[in-house]
Amino acid sequence: MRFFLYALSTLASGLVTLFGAAALVFASLRFVPGGYADILLGPFATPAAREAIGRRYGLDEPLFVQFLHWIVAMLHGDFGVSMVTRRPVIDEFLRRAPVTLELAVLALTMALAVGLPLGVAAGVAPVKAKRTLLARLVGAFGASVPDFVLGTILIFVFSVWSLWLKIGGFAPFSEDPILNLRTMLLPAMTLAVFGAALIVRTTRDAVLRVMTEPYITAAVARGAAPWEIVRRHVLRNAAIPVVTVVTTYFGFLLGGAVVVEVLFSIPGVGLYAYNGLGNRDYAIVQAGALLAACVFITINMLADMLYAVIDPRLAASGAR
Amino acid sequence: MNLILRPHRAWFSLWRRDSLSAIGLTTLVVLVLLGLFGHYLPIGDATRIAAGPRLAPPSWRFPFGTDELGRSFLPRVVLGIRATFLLSALAVAMTACLGTLLGMVAGYFRGATDQIVARVADVLFSFPALLIGLLIAAAAGPGETSAVAVIAVAALPLFVRVVRSVTLTLSGRGFIVAAEVAGASPLRIMGVHILPNIAGAVVVQLTYALSIGMIIESALSFLGLGVQPPDASLGSLLRQGSAYLTFAPWLALSSGLVLSAAIMSVNLVGDAVRDALEPLQGRSLT
Repeated sequence: MRFFLYALSTLASGLVTLFGAAALVFASLRFVPGGYADILLGPFATPAAREAIGRRYGLDEPLFVQFLHWIVAMLHGDFGVSMVTRRPVIDEFLRRAPVTLELAVLALTMALAVGLPLGVAAGVAPVKAKRTLLARLVGAFGASVPDFVLGTILIFVFSVWSLWLKIGGFAPFSEDPILNLRTMLLPAMTLAVFGAALIVRTTRDAVLRVMTEPYITAAVARGAAPWEIVRRHVLRNAAIPVVTVVTTYFGFLLGGAVVVEVLFSIPGVGLYAYNGLGNRDYAIVQAGALLAACVFITINMLADMLYAVIDPRLAASGAR
Repeated sequence: MNLILRPHRAWFSLWRRDSLSAIGLTTLVVLVLLGLFGHYLPIGDATRIAAGPRLAPPSWRFPFGTDELGRSFLPRVVLGIRATFLLSALAVAMTACLGTLLGMVAGYFRGATDQIVARVADVLFSFPALLIGLLIAAAAGPGETSAVAVIAVAALPLFVRVVRSVTLTLSGRGFIVAAEVAGASPLRIMGVHILPNIAGAVVVQLTYALSIGMIIESALSFLGLGVQPPDASLGSLLRQGSAYLTFAPWLALSSGLVLSAAIMSVNLVGDAVRDALEPLQGRSLT
């Protein structure tokens, strides 16, 4: 029951945030100098064309009414029509979503595989230990080398020595799984380096914080085996900050890793939104930003519920 | 005091305690000085076309090679350092002031104010920075102002969240209550009693926000949405160089490595500041 109430309050605040995100996206293209018609038509539009656009998009109505129409249309799955292909934007996004999802899952898996063990190992080690230095180096390196620098270097290296992996020439996983992996591993690696750094830093900090708790001293005094202490006391108590960064990172990845998708020509939602901007097809950009925020907020709501599973005290106190 | 009177001593003591941070601090100081005064150095003209052959490899005359118009690349990289640091520092500094103010107001007044501020921070946080970048570029056109706006949107929630949560725990403490009882105005309490106590958290956040700001600025410029030619930022130089990646890799590699070193130095200094303000001690498990 407590959990149910907690989940309900999480859901409610998530919906409020979602509403705010929608309002922001709406405002971003309506409150610009010159207005929506100028953006669509460019500076040399005739007044007649302006009026036609105004009527078509309901720009002559009050802003609040426009916003309501816009929201209601989206609730019906209408995110606008691409001005270039005249097809519903949402269909195009859904068609590309699996590619971005695959990239995100691959990157997250790699980041977790490196980040978690190193973070925990550095957290339970003395501050002067070798693995602490390694963790700090991985953390500093990964958080500092931007994805497009790393991606450019990888493209350079792998275009000189091919080494089985491929750049460009994407094939869907369902058609050719091997070729698909060959094209996806490098971009996923590029994205994973930042994630690994994030996870190493957060995990190490969280573990270090838990290590000073009295119950760890008690466990050490009881003579419990180090591995046993880590497994039973440290991991669960250090989990919440780690879950937070992992879900944040995953949420941002799902929104479309624009730079990496552009760099490696991966036909995901990020590349689609970027090309939409290039074609002055702003319905795509708008829908892309809004969908990314939707996915992010949903993932965060799930994470909030996960907190209560990890630490039941949260649901009991009603704190967020 | 030692830091000001005898900087070399302070540096050596940092080097002995934590060599990684000392390297970061040195790199940061060198890069900032280069960015500020580098264009006075006798390293050639950044804008002179056909100063040498096109796409020449690095040599004594052109340490970073030349670009496709025969311009010496080293002075261009120095210009890029300047743009990248200036733009992101400007954006982060403005955002830090606004975010600290909002976070303090939310944490001190609580109630409806807090709800609104926290919600706005949540909303801003829920957009990936580059999609905000695309959105702002669509609305206002690409350029430096748009880049600053994107950095501000991405960094504001970082400040608001941290400042708000520190202020929330502070505002129940005895010295705040005592000031309230003594009749201090909210403005005085926030300025005199809360601000000094959250300054540490703000400084730590400042360095992380600066590194994120530099990543965002250079990523936007790399995508062609930030600094526009003929101006140069490290991101736009990398964009320019990556077109000639196979014939003239030194263009992309030099700007990319300088950019990475710049961001890493900010991160390492941030780590050192954080370690000094809130040290985390490890312990052995036996």
